[in-house]
Amino acid sequence: METRPYFLFGDIVATASAGALAGLAAVATTFEGSNMWIAMLIGMPVGMAVALPIAFGLGALFGAMEVMVPSMLGGMLSGMWIAMAEAMRGLSLAEAAGWGAAAGLLGLVTTSIANALLRSDAPGA
Amino acid sequence: MNTELAEITRRKWDKAAASFDLMAGYGPEKRWAPFKNEFFSRMGGGRILFLAVGTGLDIQFFPERRDIVGIDISPKMIEKARGRAGRYPGSLALRVCDVHALDYPDDHFDQIFTSCTFCSVPEPVRGLESLKRVLKPGGELHMFEHTGSRYFPFNMMMHLMTQLSKHVGPEMNRATVENVARAGFVVDSVHHVYLDVVKTIHAHAPIDPPA
Repeated sequence: METRPYFLFGDIVATASAGALAGLAAVATTFEGSNMWIAMLIGMPVGMAVALPIAFGLGALFGAMEVMVPSMLGGMLSGMWIAMAEAMRGLSLAEAAGWGAAAGLLGLVTTSIANALLRSDAPGA
Repeated sequence: MNTELAEITRRKWDKAAASFDLMAGYGPEKRWAPFKNEFFSRMGGGRILFLAVGTGLDIQFFPERRDIVGIDISPKMIEKARGRAGRYPGSLALRVCDVHALDYPDDHFDQIFTSCTFCSVPEPVRGLESLKRVLKPGGELHMFEHTGSRYFPFNMMMHLMTQLSKHVGPEMNRATVENVARAGFVVDSVHHVYLDVVKTIHAHAPIDPPA
């Protein structure tokens, strides 16, 4: 788990903004009443694609893989989740951005847990 | 490596040289600094080859008074590295050289170090075989590399990112640990730095080559 405040701040900003933008992109590419599974399948690559430039851009400031991987995962989760929600009941832009940011942070938490597990598993860790 | 592929690689990295420090010089270097300090502290007193010196960002982590040759396929990268190399308190020679066509004699170096290199070498196993040739039997190979992942969804993400990144720089989905073993090195240890996508690999050239 990253504990240096500068990098922790960067991780949170990157994943939350990747998730928020992915959420907005997901509501823009799906619509209320559409098939939620198809919406989810569309939202997933859309979310990742939107997260990619943020991941590369903020990676230069806060670290390479440590920013790219959780941002892309957060974008993917956000795209899937928000697209499904939009298909089921429709979302406002504020809801899409807010829930998208939460999904982005979930991506950070997930990769942090995976990182802790994989690093403790590594020889010499 | 054929000359056309070498030329494509050289051009790609020459082009990347202008913005390389902007992308890699701050966040990644600061974040990896504790790991790189530990990693390069393994540099010993013998003859050392540092592969893909780039713009010289890693020189700050080298211990003082070592005898190092830094190579890179890109003349523009080497040009940018000269200032940092000049400030190194030890012997550090820079050369433009392709890892697939090293012009050093067999068994020449005691240690070889790489840092985020084999994500970009076009023929990684051949490149590693070339390193094995110039490394003394029992000599050490130390690598700080980013690689692909064994785990979903990280492996899928690395494959997707590679589709974009390979046009301007590295590939994110390389099986570098397996490539090191395939090239005939003995892998001593692998330590994960971040997930299983950033890692240090410590290996050595076999003392008795296989019959």
